[in-house]
Amino acid sequence: MQEIIIGIGVTALAGALAAVAGAAEDTESNIGSQGDPNSQVQLAPQMGYTHRIYNKAVSGEPPAYTLWVTLACGVAWAFLMLGVNAILAIIFGTVLATFVQGVYATTAYLGRTASLSKFGQPVFIDVVKSVTTVTMAHAFVAIFATVTVCYLMMTVIGHPFALPLLGIVWGLALGAAGSATGNPYYGKERQYQNQKFGAGVPISASGNIVRYAEAGQRSSIDNGFFTAKFGGPASGLCFGLIVFFELWRTIIFEDYLAGWGAVIVGALVIIIFMIIDRYVEVWARKNYGPYAVEA
Amino acid sequence: MSAIAAKPGANAGSFQPIPSVIAIVIAIVLVAAAYFLGSSGILAGGAMFVLQTLCLIILGAALIAFGVHFVPVGGAPAAMGQAPGIATGVAMLATGAGLAGLFGGAWAAELGLGVALASGAIGGALMMAITCLMVNISYVFGMGIPAASGKVEKDPITGDLQAAYKSQGTEGHGLPFISYVGGVIGGLFGGLGGTLIYIELLNFYNAGLPALGFVGAADINMLSVGLAGIFAIGMFLVIAVLSAYNITGTIEGPHDPKFKRFPRAIVAAILASAVCGLVAMLVVALF
Repeated sequence: MQEIIIGIGVTALAGALAAVAGAAEDTESNIGSQGDPNSQVQLAPQMGYTHRIYNKAVSGEPPAYTLWVTLACGVAWAFLMLGVNAILAIIFGTVLATFVQGVYATTAYLGRTASLSKFGQPVFIDVVKSVTTVTMAHAFVAIFATVTVCYLMMTVIGHPFALPLLGIVWGLALGAAGSATGNPYYGKERQYQNQKFGAGVPISASGNIVRYAEAGQRSSIDNGFFTAKFGGPASGLCFGLIVFFELWRTIIFEDYLAGWGAVIVGALVIIIFMIIDRYVEVWARKNYGPYAVEA
Repeated sequence: MSAIAAKPGANAGSFQPIPSVIAIVIAIVLVAAAYFLGSSGILAGGAMFVLQTLCLIILGAALIAFGVHFVPVGGAPAAMGQAPGIATGVAMLATGAGLAGLFGGAWAAELGLGVALASGAIGGALMMAITCLMVNISYVFGMGIPAASGKVEKDPITGDLQAAYKSQGTEGHGLPFISYVGGVIGGLFGGLGGTLIYIELLNFYNAGLPALGFVGAADINMLSVGLAGIFAIGMFLVIAVLSAYNITGTIEGPHDPKFKRFPRAIVAAILASAVCGLVAMLVVALF
């Protein structure tokens, strides 16, 4: 009984940490412009729209976060093997991974932006100085929370994978969940804030991203401020729910029906999510209506 | 003919019998080589055990390749609400779901093959079910955009008309119900295939590592889990990337015409997994 209670507590804690990680991951990627919407940041100068948006998408979010989380997990694991306190070991690993993220972000921004010089796009050194550290701070939060989730899975819950291997699995899942949920909000809703609300961006508008703020040119940090109101929490909820339900169904129901209990409960949860999705889809069709008269 | 004069789009995605036969023949040769290595004692466990392991690894890879084609991926256009699907890359999303499944499958490995495979499949499907739901919530409540497919007039499952719900100048947006179901099925196949590869490699390493002699009895299981996990993840990435090449960018799900390209990806997965599987098994070879 005590084991199950501890398991429930750890599941809740891991879910909460994952929610923080997801929110920080999406905000970091939006400030650094690393998701798919960055195609527009890269395209804009080629269409004649120079800007001051950060640009570090030399890889997608999932592989980038796989690298950083796995690196942090690997370093933390090495320190744990040396007998260092767990929290300290996780912090050491996270700090090193955050520095790697900083180097990655700086070189990516300089490289990608310099490649646009023939279109008149300048490299802004003040952007490197002001934005890189903000992305590093958010990356630290995301990496620390994810490594802690992996540590809980390895030690308290007793998953057979070693910490670096869990880092690969959950770093990739973090990037996949964050980019899937957060990218449309950053791309459609922020980069194309000048387009109609409640409709996709027409393909003919590609590259014409919003470049000016209330005063002066738009900063990438403002993009993080904007998306942290919806895209970030939605990504956090997504990753938090994934981690929570993955652990919850196994810890509580694995002992039933020789392990099939966790499988059946997992299938039921999937069906419930499917029903909610259908409800959301129908709700939108009824409340927003069609764009044109239905044939 | 120059590269410009050639028309790469003319037969893009069509099944090509001659390269496919060549790929299958090479895969059979590799399987035969594994059988020989097993019968000669270089690979531990005997010829039939080696043969079974490699064949099931190939089956797992084929399941992954098939599953990737179900996952609705819209890439960069989806991030601007210009095309339906999830706004990220095919390989990464499928791998994310597959590895979440592998996490569940590896956890349940000691409960038997059936439970582990089912747990892996459900783990992958659960990840996709949550992700796809949050994508639609983001579109509907964050951006006020309903889901609409650009590839079919009616949703094959619900019968909902799609064309009127596409905003002007776009190919659709969000995840119509068929795409949602496709995502869940994709996660199901990905988690199943990834877990099958992991379990087969785990059993193989548990049988092969003691024969090497330099691994202590207490460390065998830990080393087996680590090796099997790394190779399973690596092979998952190989197959997901191969399938992504076959899809070329974006796909809406099982109703998308590109879905019919899956046999080609399965052939490629069979060959790639035969090579990768044999290499993974040779790690514990007694040379």
